[in-house]
Amino acid sequence: MTMDAEQAGAILAEVDSIVARVRQSRLYRFTGALLVLWGAIVVAADLIGFVWPRWSVWTWVGANVLGAAASFAMLRAGPDVPRRVPWRFLAAFALFFAFGLLWSVGFGRFGPRELDAFWPTLFLFGYALAGLWFGAAFAALGLGLSALVLAGYLWSGAWFTLWLAAVNGGGFILCGLWMRRA
Amino acid sequence: MDGLDETIHQPVRLRLMAALTALPPSAEGLEFARLKSLTGATDGNLGAHIDHLARVGYVEVAKAFVGKRPRTTVKASRAGRAAFARHVAFLKSIIAQS
Repeated sequence: MTMDAEQAGAILAEVDSIVARVRQSRLYRFTGALLVLWGAIVVAADLIGFVWPRWSVWTWVGANVLGAAASFAMLRAGPDVPRRVPWRFLAAFALFFAFGLLWSVGFGRFGPRELDAFWPTLFLFGYALAGLWFGAAFAALGLGLSALVLAGYLWSGAWFTLWLAAVNGGGFILCGLWMRRA
Repeated sequence: MDGLDETIHQPVRLRLMAALTALPPSAEGLEFARLKSLTGATDGNLGAHIDHLARVGYVEVAKAFVGKRPRTTVKASRAGRAAFARHVAFLKSIIAQS
């Protein structure tokens, strides 16, 4: 069988296309698992904050520590992910967290309701940005859930914490399950 | 440089090997349903090509039950990865010579 350069180039382009799809699928699958984890944590923390508002701050400190430790363990132990330490991912997460702390408890004058809206939308903004590189699902997740969080901030009244549990936590879980199947 | 690998050159098998070798060797492989969506092949066609690749030792097939549902997982073997790498190198050599 003979083949010219044009045919060879077309075959290699198809190979590249399939490789890109498989890699994106693996990324979606793994990110989906992380989203389900964080969704469950967010639902639990919001429900605790709604029932016992005085414990809300410490609940979120504990939830973040638990979520970060579990995420790191999943990144390191997953059978289908690279074993090296994901320094860029951790650095990006730390920078977002530092930015959030700087403005939410540093220079900003945020009340509890503003804090409740600020933190989810900050990280959802990160997802929207990630969508520019890693796939439209991330952008849809970030922008869609941000809009729902802001709608709750404006119109849900005293039910805002429960709204966040459903929309933010529940949204993460649903999006995570969808991404694992995509 | 080795020549064209006729087993891999067939379009469905090429897509199969491209997908399977995109995974790291430590990964557990890809499920039949995922391979079906990646290759665009029908169940019967895909099964026949997977059998062909398994017969020549390019892939390993694992069948298991998850609950009551059968699950077939396919993984590229070491020989399959080497053959695919040679095939890609051959294609690149054609482009380089032009």
